[in-house]
Amino acid sequence: MIRLYTTEMEPQLSPDLIKIMNQRLSAIEHRNTVLQKLINQPEYSQEEFSRANKELRKLRDSMELINDLRAIQKEIDELKSLVSESADDKDMLDMALSELDEAVEEEKRLQTLLLKSLLPKDEADERDCILEVRAGTGGEEASLFAMDIFRMYERYSQKKGWKFEIVDITESDMKGYKEASAAICGANVYGKLKFESGIHRVQRIPITEKSGRIHTSAVSVAILPQADEVDVQLRNEDLRIDTYRSGGCGGQHANTTNSAVRIIHHPTGIMVSIQDERSQHMNKAKALKVLCAKLYEIERLRIQNSRSKLRSDQIGSGDRSGRIRTYNFPQGRVTDHRVGITHHNIEDIMQGENLDSFIDALLLRQEMDAIASFSSTS
Amino acid sequence: MIRIFPSFRFTSLLSAAKPFCSVACSSSPAREPPPNLPYPEVKSITVSKTPKTPLFLRTPSHVTPLSEVWKWHDWAKDLASSVESSSTKSNDSLESVTLLRELKWLIEDTIVDDPLSILHKKEIEDDDKKKSVKLRASLEELYDLWKQRIENRRPFQYVVGCEHWRDLVLCVEEGVLIPRPETELIVDMVEELVSRDDWFKKGIWADLGTGSGAIAIGVAKVLGSRGKVVATDLSPVAIVVASHNVQRYSLEGMIEVREGSWFEPLKGLEGKLVGIVSNPPYIPSDDIPGLQAEVGRHEPKLALDGGIDGTDSLIHLCHGASRMLKRGGFFIFETNGEKQSKMIVDYMTNDLKHCFSDLKIVSDFAGIDRFVTGFRR
Repeated sequence: MIRLYTTEMEPQLSPDLIKIMNQRLSAIEHRNTVLQKLINQPEYSQEEFSRANKELRKLRDSMELINDLRAIQKEIDELKSLVSESADDKDMLDMALSELDEAVEEEKRLQTLLLKSLLPKDEADERDCILEVRAGTGGEEASLFAMDIFRMYERYSQKKGWKFEIVDITESDMKGYKEASAAICGANVYGKLKFESGIHRVQRIPITEKSGRIHTSAVSVAILPQADEVDVQLRNEDLRIDTYRSGGCGGQHANTTNSAVRIIHHPTGIMVSIQDERSQHMNKAKALKVLCAKLYEIERLRIQNSRSKLRSDQIGSGDRSGRIRTYNFPQGRVTDHRVGITHHNIEDIMQGENLDSFIDALLLRQEMDAIASFSSTS
Repeated sequence: MIRIFPSFRFTSLLSAAKPFCSVACSSSPAREPPPNLPYPEVKSITVSKTPKTPLFLRTPSHVTPLSEVWKWHDWAKDLASSVESSSTKSNDSLESVTLLRELKWLIEDTIVDDPLSILHKKEIEDDDKKKSVKLRASLEELYDLWKQRIENRRPFQYVVGCEHWRDLVLCVEEGVLIPRPETELIVDMVEELVSRDDWFKKGIWADLGTGSGAIAIGVAKVLGSRGKVVATDLSPVAIVVASHNVQRYSLEGMIEVREGSWFEPLKGLEGKLVGIVSNPPYIPSDDIPGLQAEVGRHEPKLALDGGIDGTDSLIHLCHGASRMLKRGGFFIFETNGEKQSKMIVDYMTNDLKHCFSDLKIVSDFAGIDRFVTGFRR
């Protein structure tokens, strides 16, 4: 059912859209010609030359597609005149028509590719991510659901062939998770998971509940793109690194397996503590990874806010307070409130199966929104 | 940084230094060849001693009913939770939180197949009761190991036979000092230096009193393929364990483990080292009886006791460094803290005048002045 939905909603290349796109393509071709001329003129400075070269490189992928498109369009014209000329020759006509069909299909394919390449891209999509799950309202039950959600992403990641590495877990009294975080690595992980950020609500009878009453509790999920120390221009002097200190002289005097590390980033006041790794070095590396992701996200939100004043926020733009999904166990359903899709096998979802039905729909909606804004701004 | 040596002199040395031990032998013909032989021979000398296999590397041959494992786990948890009440306030006491974390790691090292999910199960289903798991040690041994940890205060790292240090997992056993987290910083400092200056990547380094081989392996990894490290230790057990660890990381081509006291196994390398690193024994003898039980009762005195004021070995290393380092060569020594670090810097400035430059005291993450670093003039 979901699949049908997906194919139905495949971006349609309406005549208007194609018209707008053709204008863009001509502009790119023009710019390409100008730049090509420029780099062949010796009087330009080294700086201008390298800047032009850089821009050319950026245009190169689009230009390759445009050239292919132009070639196929030329072929289509030729085939069309062949068709009109061979009305009497049935064999020739059949052949020309079938080739024309193929060429038109190819034209469509190239146009779709070009459209996608022209849509604004989030450069973070290709990055790895940090997953943070936090129990919200609902006490122990929320912690137990936080664990379920965390495991759901773990299983989903395994199915995708991604690396899922637990960063830190704070357990509740009943072995649920008050807070849990993981580093997920693989191809386009952030782009796939970014829409999972938000409030996930659960409705079920908690195992702690004797009277069999249904409770509603909530868990918040944050997906942050991973970043390194260069991305966020991390400076050593901004960091305070604390380690466990047994109080004595340390060094050879003390043998402790406690290698917890706490990092405080002075300018933002962000504090990250990691304790579950078996060496201090690894605890520190993990803490830095989380810190960098947090700083990077702050910077992204800052840029995004300054950019998107004109347009209402799109999904996944970092609004963590919104309720995005409800998991209703008694009814065995999961509903995503943003795309209005309900999946009727909750066990599948919790096992990390079929999470794609939501994710694909959300990705598609992102694309449609981008196309809409592409048409409106042109 | 001062770098006077033209690079061609260095390259000529490098070619002369191949194979590695021939320098040591051929350049000191007047003396007896050093009694300490390169790695393969060392192994044959100590053939009677083989390194202990840590838990996590043993074969999981003990098929055990899950219910029995649960029983052991509950017992171990209770024992861990009971310690705090018995010995409060003392500076030298066990902490339940730490013990419970260690128990988790012990399980990770012992049980094959997703150990934590097995033990985290909240409700035991009837099916599970009949299930078995494969353990790397018998339950009997596990009971015994956990008792040793808590009752005898045997260090956790000796119990499991390994220590996680930086991104390494090093085998350790009684007779070898368990590498400390503070010491990780030595490798960080070397990494920082060699990333600034390629000269240090191509030369010979020495790790003196290598113990488990931790620093030597850490340094070798940051040097990259062109570096060489000679690791020495007086203790035959350390030699066996360090060699084993070097082998486990396939670094035999870069690290040579030699048995002997400090610089003795380095004859022939005078003035040829680009770097010296060491975590020598530095605890003052009087402090030894009052050490934390895990340290005082179980770790080797040889690696801890630094003489009356703890600086016997450090002073020896200072002299050695002046003799063994090339001009521009670098050293890091770990010390007992502020007092010793100052003493060593003073000694190097006054008693070994004009030998060293850029002497610095570097503190560890706890803010204790832990290291002395500097360059040979």
